[in-house]
Amino acid sequence: MSIVEFSNVQKSFGPHKIFNGINLEIMPREVVVVIGPSGSGKSTLLRCINALESIEGGDIRVDGYSVKGGRNDIRNIRLEAGMVFQQFNLFPQMTALENVMFGPMRVRKATRREARELALALLEKVGLSERANHYPAELSGGQQQRVAIARALAIRPKLMLFDEPTSALDPELRQEVLKVMQTLAEEGMTMVIVTHEIEFARKAGTRLLFMEGGKIAHDGTPGELLANPPSERLRDFLQHVV
Amino acid sequence: MSFDWSAVIAALPQLLQGAELTVFIAAIGLILGISVGMLLGMLRAFGPMPVNALVQVYVAFIRGTPLIVQIMFIYFALPILMHIRIQGVTAGIIAIAINSSAYVAEIVRGSLLSISKGLTEAGLAMGLPFWKVLVFITGPLAFRRLIPPLGNQCITSLKDTSLLLVIGVSELTFTGQEIIADNFRAVEIWSAVAVIYFVMLSAVGLFWQYVERRMPIL
Repeated sequence: MSIVEFSNVQKSFGPHKIFNGINLEIMPREVVVVIGPSGSGKSTLLRCINALESIEGGDIRVDGYSVKGGRNDIRNIRLEAGMVFQQFNLFPQMTALENVMFGPMRVRKATRREARELALALLEKVGLSERANHYPAELSGGQQQRVAIARALAIRPKLMLFDEPTSALDPELRQEVLKVMQTLAEEGMTMVIVTHEIEFARKAGTRLLFMEGGKIAHDGTPGELLANPPSERLRDFLQHVV
Repeated sequence: MSFDWSAVIAALPQLLQGAELTVFIAAIGLILGISVGMLLGMLRAFGPMPVNALVQVYVAFIRGTPLIVQIMFIYFALPILMHIRIQGVTAGIIAIAINSSAYVAEIVRGSLLSISKGLTEAGLAMGLPFWKVLVFITGPLAFRRLIPPLGNQCITSLKDTSLLLVIGVSELTFTGQEIIADNFRAVEIWSAVAVIYFVMLSAVGLFWQYVERRMPIL
């Protein structure tokens, strides 16, 4: 049983057709890394999964709920899919701890104590226990992104979506974020990751999608696609990224 | 000429009474105006097209006419049109409320739209409905950005109440004018009036400074 299923998805921004019939099935425990040139639609693909972008045709189902199923379905999808953004998007008026507690309290109806315990455990998991009472502005980019991962995990998602999680970070801060992601992958979390980190795809990915011009041009394992790029275009792309 | 302190002291009780009415009209007018303005600002920022356009017309109309004309209209024209009687103070409160609401609407719209869209998305992506994102995340952040211009608006509106002298509301300016008509002590009384305004407005300024210190812009 797939956890995410795109069937014949159509999507436009104004007059620009982005997707013309995307089909894709993601199984539980898969770590899907999506790469491709900018403008190829990889972020849009990700954002369609939790209905941050609407689609015009076809359907996307997440664990049985449809992105076109109305308010309730969309809410359920978002509760099952945690999202991590390129710009972290931590709530600046809340401490790291409060950021992580927010979801459990507001959408999972946890008590303050339960939320606190969970948040502390998650902050420890991402290695930020000592930073719990710091505000986002007092944290480095890498630390902020790790808090954002903890925040997304706090709603107990079945699936995690990462939208270029390391693109806004200095190279030396990327590793701390990638390490947390790799741990998650090893624990069996289902993940969809839009990134330019080819090395991460090789190490942690179970599946690699190469997007181009709104299409999934290649779909295979990182090992085979990276070792033997099946097209000139992918070979070219990989050369420029690495 | 010499400054006659006794004239000031004699007029002080009356002037303070005027000041009290000034504060009363400004306070009630601003509470109403800010409440309505916040609602209108939200509609401007997130409301559907027809509502948005309607609010836009309202704002354009209020900002596009002088306050003194609005006061005259509410006090002299509205009663004729609607066959009602309206008291000066009531007219004054309505005028301040309507006038400030239009400016506040624009302030609120601006600060709401200035909050990064990413924060809204982060809230939505957690499964919160839009209104909860607004109440718990973006609204409080926008409010912090609202503080300086809101302080400005309070100061402006409090001073605007002086225009109510044209409809004979015995606020501070009107009271001063009446006293001068009696004792011809223009220098003393206008000085006293100015000082009283200055003290009141400084207090308003300090209040908002305090609020801003408690809730700094993030």
